[in-house]
Amino acid sequence: MLYKRYIEIGRVCFIRLGDDIGKSGVIVDLVDQKHLLVDGPDGIGRKVVRLNQVALTDIKINIPRGCKTKTVRTAMAKEGVEAKLAATSLVKKFAAKNAKAQLGDFARFKNRVAKTASNRKIRSTVRKLKKSS
Amino acid sequence: WFAAVVSSVLSSGINAEYGGEKNGGTRTVPVQKSPRFYPTEDCKTPLKNRRVAKPTKLRGSIVPGSVVILLAGSHRGKRVVVLKQLPSGLLLVTGPYKINGVPLRRVDQTYVIATSTKVELPALPAIGDEIFKRKGKPTKNEKEMFVDNAGDNSYKISAEKVALQKEIDALVVPAVKKVDMLQSYLRSRFTLTKGQFPHEMKF
Repeated sequence: MLYKRYIEIGRVCFIRLGDDIGKSGVIVDLVDQKHLLVDGPDGIGRKVVRLNQVALTDIKINIPRGCKTKTVRTAMAKEGVEAKLAATSLVKKFAAKNAKAQLGDFARFKNRVAKTASNRKIRSTVRKLKKSS
Repeated sequence: WFAAVVSSVLSSGINAEYGGEKNGGTRTVPVQKSPRFYPTEDCKTPLKNRRVAKPTKLRGSIVPGSVVILLAGSHRGKRVVVLKQLPSGLLLVTGPYKINGVPLRRVDQTYVIATSTKVELPALPAIGDEIFKRKGKPTKNEKEMFVDNAGDNSYKISAEKVALQKEIDALVVPAVKKVDMLQSYLRSRFTLTKGQFPHEMKF
Protein backbone atom coordinates (compact mmCIF):
# COMPACT_ATOMS: atom_id res chain seq x y z
CA MET A 1 0.00 0.00 0.00
CA LEU A 2 1.05 3.58 -0.54
CA TYR A 3 0.14 4.83 2.89
CA LYS A 4 1.09 3.33 6.22
CA ARG A 5 -0.30 5.96 8.57
CA TYR A 6 -4.00 6.67 8.36
CA ILE A 7 -6.12 9.39 9.84
CA GLU A 8 -8.23 7.33 12.21
CA ILE A 9 -9.61 7.47 15.71
CA GLY A 10 -6.76 6.81 18.10
CA ARG A 11 -3.95 7.91 15.74
CA VAL A 12 -1.37 9.98 17.61
CA CYS A 13 -0.47 13.09 15.69
CA PHE A 14 2.20 15.71 16.06
CA ILE A 15 1.23 19.37 15.69
CA ARG A 16 3.73 21.09 13.43
CA LEU A 17 2.04 24.49 12.84
CA GLY A 18 0.13 27.01 14.88
CA ASP A 19 0.00 27.91 18.55
CA ASP A 20 0.52 24.39 19.84
CA ILE A 21 3.55 23.66 17.70
CA GLY A 22 5.63 20.79 19.02
CA LYS A 23 2.83 19.20 21.01
CA SER A 24 1.14 15.89 20.29
CA GLY A 25 -2.40 14.62 20.63
CA VAL A 26 -4.70 11.74 19.81
CA ILE A 27 -7.31 11.98 17.09
CA VAL A 28 -10.62 11.61 18.89
CA ASP A 29 -13.07 12.52 16.13
CA LEU A 30 -13.28 13.94 12.64
CA VAL A 31 -15.09 17.23 12.22
CA ASP A 32 -15.07 17.51 8.44
CA GLN A 33 -12.78 16.91 5.48
CA LYS A 34 -10.20 19.28 6.83
CA HIS A 35 -10.57 19.32 10.60
CA LEU A 36 -9.84 16.89 13.41
CA LEU A 37 -10.80 16.82 17.05
CA VAL A 38 -7.61 16.19 18.91
CA ASP A 39 -7.04 15.52 22.59
CA GLY A 40 -3.65 15.60 24.18
CA PRO A 41 -1.81 16.16 27.43
CA ASP A 42 -2.55 19.42 29.21
CA GLY A 43 -0.62 21.42 26.65
CA ILE A 44 -3.33 21.19 23.99
CA GLY A 45 -6.31 19.90 25.88
CA ARG A 46 -9.16 19.03 23.57
CA LYS A 47 -9.41 21.11 20.46
CA VAL A 48 -10.22 21.21 16.78
CA VAL A 49 -7.19 21.30 14.59
CA ARG A 50 -6.70 21.62 10.84
CA LEU A 51 -5.36 18.68 8.88
CA ASN A 52 -2.44 20.63 7.47
CA GLN A 53 -1.32 21.63 10.98
CA VAL A 54 -0.78 18.01 11.83
CA ALA A 55 1.75 15.28 11.02
CA LEU A 56 0.83 11.67 11.69
CA THR A 57 3.01 9.36 13.76
CA ASP A 58 3.24 5.55 13.79
CA ILE A 59 1.55 5.34 17.15
CA LYS A 60 -2.07 4.30 17.39
CA ILE A 61 -4.15 3.61 20.49
CA ASN A 62 -7.54 2.04 21.02
CA ILE A 63 -10.22 4.53 21.95
CA PRO A 64 -13.88 4.81 21.03
CA ARG A 65 -14.90 7.73 18.84
CA GLY A 66 -15.55 10.97 20.69
CA CYS A 67 -14.62 9.58 24.07
CA LYS A 68 -13.98 11.75 27.09
CA THR A 69 -10.62 13.29 27.89
CA LYS A 70 -10.22 11.04 30.92
CA THR A 71 -10.55 7.95 28.73
CA VAL A 72 -7.98 9.30 26.32
CA ARG A 73 -5.54 9.96 29.13
CA THR A 74 -5.85 6.52 30.64
CA ALA A 75 -5.48 4.89 27.23
CA MET A 76 -2.38 6.98 26.53
CA ALA A 77 -0.87 6.06 29.86
CA LYS A 78 -1.65 2.37 29.30
CA GLU A 79 0.05 2.30 25.89
CA GLY A 80 2.98 4.36 27.07
CA VAL A 81 2.45 6.93 24.32
CA GLU A 82 4.72 9.55 25.84
CA ALA A 83 7.77 7.30 25.75
CA LYS A 84 7.01 6.16 22.19
CA LEU A 85 6.57 9.75 21.08
CA ALA A 86 9.93 10.80 22.48
CA ALA A 87 11.50 8.13 20.25
CA THR A 88 9.86 9.38 17.04
CA SER A 89 11.99 11.37 14.63
CA LEU A 90 9.34 14.11 14.38
CA VAL A 91 9.64 14.92 18.07
CA LYS A 92 13.41 14.56 18.08
CA LYS A 93 13.88 16.83 15.10
CA PHE A 94 11.56 19.45 16.56
CA ALA A 95 13.43 19.36 19.87
CA ALA A 96 16.76 19.80 18.07
CA LYS A 97 15.43 22.69 15.97
CA ASN A 98 13.98 24.33 19.07
CA ALA A 99 17.22 23.93 20.99
CA LYS A 100 19.12 25.56 18.13
CA ALA A 101 16.73 28.50 18.11
CA GLN A 102 17.23 29.03 21.82
CA LEU A 103 20.98 29.38 21.47
CA GLY A 104 22.49 32.73 22.36
CA ASP A 105 24.93 34.70 20.27
CA PHE A 106 27.99 33.27 22.01
CA ALA A 107 26.77 29.68 21.57
CA ARG A 108 26.11 30.32 17.90
CA PHE A 109 29.64 31.66 17.54
CA LYS A 110 31.14 28.59 19.21
CA ASN A 111 29.10 26.28 17.00
CA ARG A 112 30.24 28.12 13.89
CA VAL A 113 33.88 27.91 14.90
CA ALA A 114 33.54 24.18 15.67
CA LYS A 115 31.79 23.56 12.34
CA THR A 116 34.46 25.41 10.40
CA ALA A 117 37.18 23.43 12.15
CA SER A 118 35.49 20.09 11.50
CA ASN A 119 34.77 20.98 7.87
CA ARG A 120 38.40 21.86 7.40
CA LYS A 121 39.46 18.50 8.83
CA ILE A 122 37.00 16.64 6.64
CA ARG A 123 38.14 18.46 3.51
CA SER A 124 41.82 17.87 4.21
CA THR A 125 41.18 14.15 4.84
CA VAL A 126 39.20 13.85 1.62
CA ARG A 127 41.96 15.62 -0.27
CA LYS A 128 44.56 13.28 1.16
CA LEU A 129 42.48 10.26 0.18
CA LYS A 130 42.03 11.60 -3.33
CA LYS A 131 45.74 12.16 -3.67
CA SER A 132 46.62 8.67 -2.44
CA SER A 133 44.10 6.92 -4.71
CA TRP B 1 -10.34 88.23 44.39
CA PHE B 2 -7.58 90.66 43.60
CA ALA B 3 -9.72 93.65 44.58
CA ALA B 4 -10.47 92.03 47.94
CA VAL B 5 -6.77 91.60 48.61
CA VAL B 6 -6.09 95.18 47.65
CA SER B 7 -8.77 96.55 49.93
CA SER B 8 -7.62 94.44 52.87
CA VAL B 9 -4.11 95.65 52.34
CA LEU B 10 -5.23 99.25 52.21
CA SER B 11 -7.27 98.98 55.37
CA SER B 12 -4.33 97.82 57.49
CA GLY B 13 -1.86 100.54 58.25
CA ILE B 14 0.45 102.19 60.71
CA ASN B 15 -0.11 105.45 62.39
CA ALA B 16 2.77 107.63 61.41
CA GLU B 17 3.50 111.06 62.74
CA TYR B 18 4.03 113.90 60.37
CA GLY B 19 5.64 117.16 61.11
CA GLY B 20 4.41 120.48 59.90
CA GLU B 21 1.51 122.55 61.15
CA LYS B 22 -0.89 121.98 58.32
CA ASN B 23 -0.17 118.32 57.72
CA GLY B 24 -2.69 116.91 60.15
CA GLY B 25 -0.23 115.51 62.70
CA THR B 26 -0.84 111.80 62.15
CA ARG B 27 -2.19 109.72 59.37
CA THR B 28 -2.44 106.04 58.64
CA VAL B 29 0.13 104.91 56.22
CA PRO B 30 -0.42 101.58 54.57
CA VAL B 31 2.07 98.88 55.49
CA GLN B 32 2.08 97.66 51.91
CA LYS B 33 1.50 100.06 49.09
CA SER B 34 -1.24 99.05 46.70
CA PRO B 35 0.07 97.93 43.36
CA ARG B 36 0.08 100.47 40.56
CA PHE B 37 -1.44 98.00 38.14
CA TYR B 38 -3.50 94.92 38.27
CA PRO B 39 -5.14 93.04 35.36
CA THR B 40 -8.83 93.57 34.70
CA GLU B 41 -9.50 89.86 34.58
CA ASP B 42 -8.28 87.25 36.96
CA CYS B 43 -6.28 84.72 35.03
CA LYS B 44 -5.02 81.48 36.44
CA THR B 45 -1.28 81.17 36.77
CA PRO B 46 0.03 77.87 35.44
CA LEU B 47 1.32 75.43 38.02
CA LYS B 48 5.02 75.31 38.54
CA ASN B 49 6.82 72.47 36.81
CA ARG B 50 8.46 70.50 39.57
CA ARG B 51 9.50 67.62 37.37
CA VAL B 52 12.87 66.14 38.21
CA ALA B 53 14.55 64.20 35.42
CA LYS B 54 14.96 60.56 36.40
CA PRO B 55 18.05 58.65 35.36
CA THR B 56 17.61 56.65 32.15
CA LYS B 57 16.14 53.26 32.90
CA LEU B 58 18.60 50.60 31.89
CA ARG B 59 17.29 47.52 30.08
CA GLY B 60 17.13 44.51 32.37
CA SER B 61 19.30 42.56 29.97
CA ILE B 62 22.18 45.03 30.29
CA VAL B 63 24.31 44.67 33.40
CA PRO B 64 27.91 45.68 34.15
CA GLY B 65 29.92 42.98 32.44
CA SER B 66 27.40 42.00 29.81
CA VAL B 67 28.62 41.57 26.26
CA VAL B 68 26.78 43.77 23.86
CA ILE B 69 26.70 44.19 20.05
CA LEU B 70 27.19 47.72 18.76
CA LEU B 71 24.74 48.56 16.01
CA ALA B 72 25.91 51.92 14.76
CA GLY B 73 29.04 53.94 14.32
CA SER B 74 32.46 52.97 13.07
CA HIS B 75 32.49 50.00 15.44
CA ARG B 76 29.18 48.57 14.28
CA GLY B 77 28.92 44.82 14.57
CA LYS B 78 31.61 44.63 17.20
CA ARG B 79 31.00 42.80 20.43
CA VAL B 80 32.04 44.82 23.43
CA VAL B 81 31.86 44.69 27.21
CA VAL B 82 29.62 47.06 29.15
CA LEU B 83 31.42 48.52 32.15
CA LYS B 84 28.62 50.55 33.68
CA GLN B 85 25.87 53.09 33.13
CA LEU B 86 27.12 56.64 33.41
CA PRO B 87 25.19 59.38 35.22
CA SER B 88 24.23 60.81 31.82
CA GLY B 89 22.35 57.56 31.13
CA LEU B 90 24.73 56.33 28.45
CA LEU B 91 26.55 53.04 28.68
CA LEU B 92 30.28 53.05 29.25
CA VAL B 93 31.70 50.42 26.97
CA THR B 94 35.10 49.07 26.03
CA GLY B 95 36.28 46.37 23.58
CA PRO B 96 38.52 45.89 25.55
CA TYR B 97 40.76 48.01 23.35
CA LYS B 98 43.46 45.35 23.28
CA ILE B 99 41.05 42.77 21.93
CA ASN B 100 38.98 44.52 19.30
CA GLY B 101 40.08 48.14 19.15
CA VAL B 102 37.04 49.65 20.79
CA PRO B 103 38.25 52.22 23.34
CA LEU B 104 36.41 53.49 26.40
CA ARG B 105 33.34 54.80 24.71
CA ARG B 106 29.88 56.02 25.53
CA VAL B 107 26.99 54.35 23.78
CA ASP B 108 23.26 54.71 24.01
CA GLN B 109 21.53 51.51 24.97
CA THR B 110 19.14 51.84 22.05
CA TYR B 111 22.04 51.38 19.62
CA VAL B 112 23.00 48.12 21.15
CA ILE B 113 21.85 44.49 21.18
CA ALA B 114 22.37 42.92 24.57
CA THR B 115 23.57 39.32 24.55
CA SER B 116 23.07 36.90 27.37
CA THR B 117 26.84 36.52 27.83
CA LYS B 118 28.25 38.18 30.93
CA VAL B 119 31.82 38.78 32.02
CA GLU B 120 32.70 38.85 35.69
CA LEU B 121 34.35 42.22 36.08
CA PRO B 122 36.61 43.12 39.00
CA ALA B 123 36.28 46.45 40.79
CA LEU B 124 36.98 49.20 38.27
CA PRO B 125 38.20 52.75 38.85
CA ALA B 126 35.46 55.34 38.95
CA ILE B 127 34.82 56.94 35.57
CA GLY B 128 32.36 59.70 34.84
CA ASP B 129 31.14 61.69 31.86
CA GLU B 130 33.84 64.34 32.40
CA ILE B 131 36.63 62.54 30.56
CA PHE B 132 34.51 62.47 27.42
CA LYS B 133 33.98 66.20 27.33
CA ARG B 134 35.72 67.69 24.32
CA LYS B 135 37.53 71.01 24.52
CA GLY B 136 35.79 73.78 22.60
CA LYS B 137 36.91 74.61 19.07
CA PRO B 138 39.49 77.41 18.97
CA THR B 139 37.94 80.70 17.86
CA LYS B 140 39.29 82.13 14.62
CA ASN B 141 40.97 85.49 14.54
CA GLU B 142 40.35 87.94 11.75
CA LYS B 143 43.94 87.56 10.68
CA GLU B 144 43.87 83.77 10.68
CA MET B 145 40.90 83.60 8.36
CA PHE B 146 43.18 83.89 5.39
CA VAL B 147 45.80 81.58 6.73
CA ASP B 148 45.52 77.89 5.99
CA ASN B 149 45.20 76.52 9.47
CA ALA B 150 43.88 73.09 8.67
CA GLY B 151 44.90 70.05 10.70
CA ASP B 152 45.20 71.72 14.06
CA ASN B 153 41.56 71.32 14.96
CA SER B 154 41.49 67.55 14.70
CA TYR B 155 40.74 65.62 17.84
CA LYS B 156 43.71 64.12 19.64
CA ILE B 157 43.35 61.53 22.39
CA SER B 158 44.55 62.84 25.69
CA ALA B 159 47.34 61.09 27.54
CA GLU B 160 45.14 60.54 30.54
CA LYS B 161 42.64 58.69 28.38
CA VAL B 162 45.34 56.41 27.04
CA ALA B 163 46.54 55.72 30.56
CA LEU B 164 42.99 55.06 31.75
CA GLN B 165 42.41 52.68 28.83
CA LYS B 166 45.55 50.73 29.73
CA GLU B 167 44.39 50.55 33.34
CA ILE B 168 40.95 49.27 32.38
CA ASP B 169 42.34 46.79 29.89
CA ALA B 170 44.64 45.39 32.53
CA LEU B 171 41.56 44.61 34.63
CA VAL B 172 39.07 43.51 31.99
CA VAL B 173 41.24 41.44 29.62
CA PRO B 174 42.15 38.80 32.26
CA ALA B 175 38.47 38.50 33.15
CA VAL B 176 37.71 37.88 29.48
CA LYS B 177 40.51 35.36 29.07
CA LYS B 178 39.09 33.28 31.90
CA VAL B 179 36.14 32.25 29.76
CA ASP B 180 36.86 29.77 27.01
CA MET B 181 36.71 31.29 23.49
CA LEU B 182 35.36 34.60 24.77
CA GLN B 183 38.37 36.52 23.50
CA SER B 184 37.95 35.25 19.93
CA TYR B 185 34.22 35.93 20.27
CA LEU B 186 34.91 39.56 21.11
CA ARG B 187 37.37 39.79 18.24
CA SER B 188 34.75 38.68 15.74
CA ARG B 189 32.05 40.89 14.33
CA PHE B 190 28.35 40.14 14.34
CA THR B 191 26.91 39.50 10.88
CA LEU B 192 23.64 38.27 9.49
CA THR B 193 23.64 35.41 7.05
CA LYS B 194 20.88 34.06 4.88
CA GLY B 195 17.88 32.90 6.85
CA GLN B 196 18.83 34.81 9.97
CA PHE B 197 16.33 37.37 11.17
CA PRO B 198 17.18 39.41 14.26
CA HIS B 199 13.60 39.47 15.51
CA GLU B 200 13.59 35.65 15.48
CA MET B 201 16.99 35.21 17.04
CA LYS B 202 17.91 34.84 20.65
CA PHE B 203 20.92 36.78 21.79
